[in-house]
Amino acid sequence: MILIIGGSYQGKTVFAVSTFGLNEKEIAEGGDAWERLKNAKCIRHFEALVSAAVKENKDPLELTEKLLDAATDVIIIMTEIGCGIIPIERSERIYRELVGKTGCLLAGRAEKVIRLVCGIPSVIKGESI
Amino acid sequence: MFILITGGCKNGKSAIAEKIICSGGSVRFYIATMQPFGKEAEIAINRHREMRAGKNFKTVEKYTDIGDIALPEKCSVLLECMGNLCANEMFSAGCADPAGKIIRDIRKLSDHTELFIAVTSQVGGDGIEYPGETMKYMESLGRLNSGLADMADIVIEAVFGIPVVLKGELPECLY
Repeated sequence: MILIIGGSYQGKTVFAVSTFGLNEKEIAEGGDAWERLKNAKCIRHFEALVSAAVKENKDPLELTEKLLDAATDVIIIMTEIGCGIIPIERSERIYRELVGKTGCLLAGRAEKVIRLVCGIPSVIKGESI
Repeated sequence: MFILITGGCKNGKSAIAEKIICSGGSVRFYIATMQPFGKEAEIAINRHREMRAGKNFKTVEKYTDIGDIALPEKCSVLLECMGNLCANEMFSAGCADPAGKIIRDIRKLSDHTELFIAVTSQVGGDGIEYPGETMKYMESLGRLNSGLADMADIVIEAVFGIPVVLKGELPECLY
């Protein structure tokens, strides 16, 4: 599994498409149905899986483990969101914390982690590209 | 040796800090700055206590004026977290220059320690314009982080559990 992270609009998807030769149809969204996620080559907005899980009272960490067991070769794209002021709304705080924990789980299991800043990739885990 | 560890929420900052401090042999102190206000703070405090269990830390709870803590020479210190300490100095103690004060306090303590690790956080990354007080807090923490990074031998950003070196060299225990 390859994990691509970074803030919003830093060129994560563009990088994934050009580097790994993906086409639009092969890219699922984090909020898509389970069957679609399981068979996708790439899942972007993985944080949407976290927010969907929270809304359905499911554990996003368990779901992520289950998904990674089923799809070992997937490319996952996720936005980093935990670098702002702690939200006043409790549900937003929980979501923000779970995105961090899910990210740690993904990065721990990934063979490569690439971080995008202003469209520039840095490999922060694994061999360079 | 002074090490600053930064990173986003739940990105593994404490785990990295504990790994570094536990690789050394000197007496370990943990300075806790979070005030136990409310259930969420309690949960966070308990989570960190569990993480530290069995690692031989002497815990000192101090919410402001950390420069007053008496520490033995050549000990190791883990101080968490600048986000809380800065808010405590600003909002509980009414300090006008929390960044300057905390930097002086840390310098005073770290002059006599073998290893001093400060854990901080990032609060300026959501691009949202907040009310004046909050903006002032963000500015203070930003100044504090920059000042501490300037002092530090090593600065590490925890990114989803991965230690990314921003200054100096990665400690061997993290290879």
